[in-house]
Amino acid sequence: MKLKWGKSLTLLLITALLLMLAAGCGSKSETKTDTPATTTETPKTDTKTDTKTDTKTDTKTDTTTTPAEAAGPELEGDFEVQYFVGGYGDGFWKEAIADFSKKYPKLKIKESAGPKINDQMKPRWIQGSPPDFVYIDGAGANATQMVKDDQLLDLTDWLETAKNEDGKLIKDLLIMQPVKYDGKIAPIPFVFGTWGIFYDKAEFAKNSWAEPKNWDEFLAVSKQIKDSGKMYPFIHTGKYPYYINGGLVDTAVVVNNNYDGSILDKMQALEPGIFKSEPVKKALDQVKQLVDAGFIDPASAAINHTDSQSLFLQHKDAFIPNGLWVENEMKKDVPKGFDFGFIPSVTQPAGGKFVAIPYTSTVGVAKKAKNPEAAKAFMQFILTEKYAVRWAELTGALDNIKADLSASDKVSSLSKQASGYYNSPDTVVAPYIELNADVDKVKQDSTQALANGKITPEEWMNRMEAAAEKSRGKK
Amino acid sequence: MITVNNAPSIDHAVGKPKAGKGMNWKTKRKLFIFVFTVPTLLFFCLFMIYPIIQGLYISLFDWSGGSETKSFIGFDNYKEMLNDPILGHAIYNDYFLVFWKVIGIVGLGVFFAVALTRFRMKGSGFFRQVFFIPNILSVVVIGVLWNYIYNPSIGFLNSFLSLFTEKKVEISYLGDEAYAMWSLLPPAIWAGVGFVMILLIASILSIPTELYEAGNLDGATQWQQFVRITMPLTWEQIKVSILWVVMTTLNGSFVIVWIMTEGGPDNATQVMGSYLYQMGFRQYHMGYASAIGALILILSLITTLALQRIMRRDTYEMS
Repeated sequence: MKLKWGKSLTLLLITALLLMLAAGCGSKSETKTDTPATTTETPKTDTKTDTKTDTKTDTKTDTTTTPAEAAGPELEGDFEVQYFVGGYGDGFWKEAIADFSKKYPKLKIKESAGPKINDQMKPRWIQGSPPDFVYIDGAGANATQMVKDDQLLDLTDWLETAKNEDGKLIKDLLIMQPVKYDGKIAPIPFVFGTWGIFYDKAEFAKNSWAEPKNWDEFLAVSKQIKDSGKMYPFIHTGKYPYYINGGLVDTAVVVNNNYDGSILDKMQALEPGIFKSEPVKKALDQVKQLVDAGFIDPASAAINHTDSQSLFLQHKDAFIPNGLWVENEMKKDVPKGFDFGFIPSVTQPAGGKFVAIPYTSTVGVAKKAKNPEAAKAFMQFILTEKYAVRWAELTGALDNIKADLSASDKVSSLSKQASGYYNSPDTVVAPYIELNADVDKVKQDSTQALANGKITPEEWMNRMEAAAEKSRGKK
Repeated sequence: MITVNNAPSIDHAVGKPKAGKGMNWKTKRKLFIFVFTVPTLLFFCLFMIYPIIQGLYISLFDWSGGSETKSFIGFDNYKEMLNDPILGHAIYNDYFLVFWKVIGIVGLGVFFAVALTRFRMKGSGFFRQVFFIPNILSVVVIGVLWNYIYNPSIGFLNSFLSLFTEKKVEISYLGDEAYAMWSLLPPAIWAGVGFVMILLIASILSIPTELYEAGNLDGATQWQQFVRITMPLTWEQIKVSILWVVMTTLNGSFVIVWIMTEGGPDNATQVMGSYLYQMGFRQYHMGYASAIGALILILSLITTLALQRIMRRDTYEMS
């Protein structure tokens, strides 16, 4: 008896293991069979919707009498939304999705969200059964790469005519136009912000340092700061050199190109010789000036964003290149009396314009979406002025729709300062570009080395030309 | 080897004299061995062999890691590796770490083990625990901790050095190509010493004290006792320690590098593992990353085999 039991147990064990092995191998060989049904299908749960938003949406849907015209026919079936949850939280998406599902009650909406969602959903994209709508943000997500991998629906024609819920042409409302890949548009910029140089207005006032408006003033006050011995004039995030690229180097490139941002497009296109052109050289020389004057805190070389921002908040450094999210990100560590000052660029000569280098996170529709109509309708639903205000209120950042934020007192002062710059005729908002990942890596390494005084502008340019050359060879 | 006589006696001990009815002991023994080896083998195949084969397979493709399609390019990824200066530097860095970690971890481990056992130090139990603590910390924690120590502006190390200088010390240890690799060593060594030390303490304690007493009577110094008695009799453990350090370094130095420098500044601390990650997940060349993975596998195998060859000694029996 006992033995039989033991025997069958081992047999059971072995068969179980064999099955597991078979299952393990099986899944990979069947990558092509896309089973459309998502096994765990959770019908929309709007437990999070608070009453406040309820009333809001109701009034909205009532007033817009022609939603069908914008969104097409009645929507039904499954609709899956993938969104990354990071610094901006998930409040906005929860609210928007809840409102959307109220408008289209026949839609079964599934949310795939979280801080690791990009990795979690990757197998689905590879196997060709992606979600319908995707908000592309966070680690592991890269819009350009998704276009390269042919994962996103071509929205070129759609954008030409698409109107939002309020019946307004979406194209006209976008602050920043989408990146064109070989003339085609797939990801639509949803978040909008720009890089810039940040400082503490209060500290500057206390020491009677002048807030700089151009390069000469910047150098002058930096010298003053350095001579005071109180702090270093400038710190940057050496571990992630795209901060200094966005806040300093790229602004200088556009400034030296006579405020013509098309040079950035040419960089994205990896035009031969573009990284050796005169504007680039002049821009790098400006960085070199900072290095030679000893204005850059040597601590910058290897520290990450939190460390550099901490040092900045502790008044170890006066200026930091950063993105508009910095206030929100460091909320808990901002000392009392700290008053964020922001300037899009410092590299322009006296009397010149400000140059703002934008950043974004995009939204897109999957090429293999099962419900592309719903995904497009959702875009039309959120790309409205109303949701632009809600985004600003819920995240402290700006989205890419031109909207009047001054009415809302929940929008951060930094966002309002920034938005003041963008609306000014003295500011040039450069086009948004995404360099090829290989070239971008070389750019970051080179800029870090340049700011660290390890290489010359010439070496920077040579490295970039070589990297661009290599990438061009790879199709 | 189990002898013929042993098998029935096992049955006896379990108290199942008639258990083998209809099955002779040979089949039973086979079944017994089968039950213990096959599941392990299956798991090994599933979690080791299959991924390795899959990785080798992917390394023959040009694949971004995200697209549905991959294009077969044969050995092009491997050819490209030959012309990649960063990869060459990464390999150099890996062996730099291997060399200094072996010296540091095994050297210090042996020293501490001998000190805590043979020198009859006071409070050896306390030191044993102190040295072992880093081993129960995650490498991630260690990396973050040492990042703070190295912080050029508010870090402990520069503050400490500043006590002895007139001007404030502001060395960016991880930000300067000249120091960055060296700066990775102390945390890596600190994290590994405890394990080797414990291993060797156990081994030294198992050496009969008579041997040392005899040595003392013959007038052997501590050093001579170490070279003539301790070293030969703990050689197996030292060998295991060295191999352990070598293998964990070649396969696992990724973690500490990624936490502390992400391969920077300017690729100065790139190791094969971090470069693999950079290529696969940051620059979207999964095929190339898999080829780097294959290279790590090959280099680890060669290194381990070569080391085993070099370190082969006649074993001394203690009886």
